[in-house]
Amino acid sequence: MNSDKILDAKGLACPMPIVRTKKSIAELESGQVLEVHATDKGAKNDLAAWAKSTGNELLSHAEENGVYKFWIKKA
Amino acid sequence: MANKVAIIASNGGLFDAYKVFNIATAAAATDSQVAIFFTFEGLNLIHKQAYEQLPMPAGKEHFQEGFKAANVPSIPDLVSMAQELGVKIIACQMTMDVMNLQKEDFIDGIDVGGAVTFLDFAQDANVTLTF
Repeated sequence: MNSDKILDAKGLACPMPIVRTKKSIAELESGQVLEVHATDKGAKNDLAAWAKSTGNELLSHAEENGVYKFWIKKA
Repeated sequence: MANKVAIIASNGGLFDAYKVFNIATAAAATDSQVAIFFTFEGLNLIHKQAYEQLPMPAGKEHFQEGFKAANVPSIPDLVSMAQELGVKIIACQMTMDVMNLQKEDFIDGIDVGGAVTFLDFAQDANVTLTF
């Protein structure tokens, strides 16, 4: 999936992936897509909840070799 | 209107600090308006010297390694992140008087206030937490 920006949040513990996601999405324009890579196992549920709470759209997510990937479209 | 999260921090150990600041930064990063009222031992969590060396609960010192392994940010780092995200920090005036502490004893960027200052914020908060 195409993305406008990639955030590498691998190795970071809660709540850092969320904090970094918020900062990264702030740098995007509405409609652009942020791709987040994280290894925090809590991030899977947290990023979905974050997207729901903030009104941004979680387009897709995947897991590859212990890395969780998320594609979030800025509202 | 944004969600409001009102937190009371009344304990002064390292675990308490993580409970308070993880929830606070996560909430602020999720577009909530957050205020924390620090009272009694909770004041340790924002005290310039104390917050750099908060104690582990007795018998739990071995978790030190776990914190390192999990790459958990330090409390001073979490606090500055919380402030950067707009988390409002209120130190309890009454406790400061009892413990003979001045505003200068605490980290920069805090407010000092009484119980009503916090209650005014908490009045219409969607989430209220006590640690």
